[in-house]
Amino acid sequence: MRIAILALAVAVLAACSSGKKPDEQAFLNTLDSAKTEDPTIDEEVIGSILQNIPSPIEISVLLKESGTKYDPSILNSSDNLSKYNSNYQKALNLGVYGTDLGYTNIYEQNQDGIKYLSSIKSLADGLNIGQFFDIETIGHLATNSKNLDSLLLITTQNFNSINHYLQTQNRSNLSVLLLTGGWIEAMQVTCQVAAKNPKNKELKDTIGEQKIILEQILLLFSFYKEDENMASLLKDLEELKAGFDKINITYTYKESTMEIVNGVAVIKDNSTTTIEITDQDVENIKNLTNSIRNKIVS
Amino acid sequence: MKKISAITLLLLVSSFTSFTLIGQCNADNFSNACIPKLGDGFNFLKSYKIDGEGGAKDKVEYSYVFTKGTQYMINLCANGAATDGIVVSLFDSNRNKVASSKINGQFVSAIAYPCNATGIYYIQYTFDGGGKCGGSALGFKR
Repeated sequence: MRIAILALAVAVLAACSSGKKPDEQAFLNTLDSAKTEDPTIDEEVIGSILQNIPSPIEISVLLKESGTKYDPSILNSSDNLSKYNSNYQKALNLGVYGTDLGYTNIYEQNQDGIKYLSSIKSLADGLNIGQFFDIETIGHLATNSKNLDSLLLITTQNFNSINHYLQTQNRSNLSVLLLTGGWIEAMQVTCQVAAKNPKNKELKDTIGEQKIILEQILLLFSFYKEDENMASLLKDLEELKAGFDKINITYTYKESTMEIVNGVAVIKDNSTTTIEITDQDVENIKNLTNSIRNKIVS
Repeated sequence: MKKISAITLLLLVSSFTSFTLIGQCNADNFSNACIPKLGDGFNFLKSYKIDGEGGAKDKVEYSYVFTKGTQYMINLCANGAATDGIVVSLFDSNRNKVASSKINGQFVSAIAYPCNATGIYYIQYTFDGGGKCGGSALGFKR
């Protein structure tokens, strides 16, 4: 009887003592120099800023909806994978390739998508987060364009899981780099497309609106000034910010109205934003973005 | 004496186990269940856990940058068919309320928000009774 009780108690205590899975423990053991030691970093604050950053997939959908043709030449070649050796490079380019994968998915270019998927898996493995990519399932979905919705869903979920996991492991710096790489690539793609369609007001506005995202990214980088690589990138991002300073975003609030349609509260947003951005601003931002993006991918 | 000790230990173990089960909110399950319930044509963006920690929290809040020209949907999933008293409200960056899932006392399980002004928005979940446990998903379409 005593043994049974003891065994039960030990089992309960063991179950309560650690929620970590074996792979999590292995990951913890492999934490390297990329882990920040700065005691001033508040992971909770960083997490709350990180969640603001929109998915690059929104921009890919905008580009497709605006009638822009698929152009793989504006993406980072998946063959560049071998150039990325440090965790800093891997995290940034995991974000870059994530945006490129989203772009190929939206345009249903599955063969290109599979190449990006392979590079993403390699980078993720290199950062010990490869377990979040079920390459077999994604690869299978990518072989049929009818699976587009599932493909988009699973890849978005994978990236969300990675970001969540990095934050729980106190490796938010990698999460910041991943999201920044993804954002810079989306900016670069948008700027390239806008340059070819100078009369497209929506694309120009989209570039101008990125001022709001850049402010969030700069806020994130301010926590990592002690990290040499991130401080260098911060300097470049501040130059980009100077390019955005001339752009005015005016917000006018007006109370919204709502009605219930089929059990859903459908809102009529009566507020507006107006973006003041010139062709010269777009050109300037495009050049600054290209310069940063080239440093990241080369 | 041995019997009394054994019974005491068993009671302690079982009461501890019961407590964790009662206090548990499996918000992950609810938020995962919400993803396929996003409306037709909406692409999944984020899932959110809503855990009021048994009443310790009176609200749970997230934020996201919404973009002009994009329609967003935020839905709710909780115990039972209804929203179990959970209300989702949307606030702009100046904390003006722009949307709510409680309209004239009626609870709905989703809000569709065609955004006309780009900026940071706060997605706030509050509890009007119920189990204070649920999940939510955010999707978009253009």
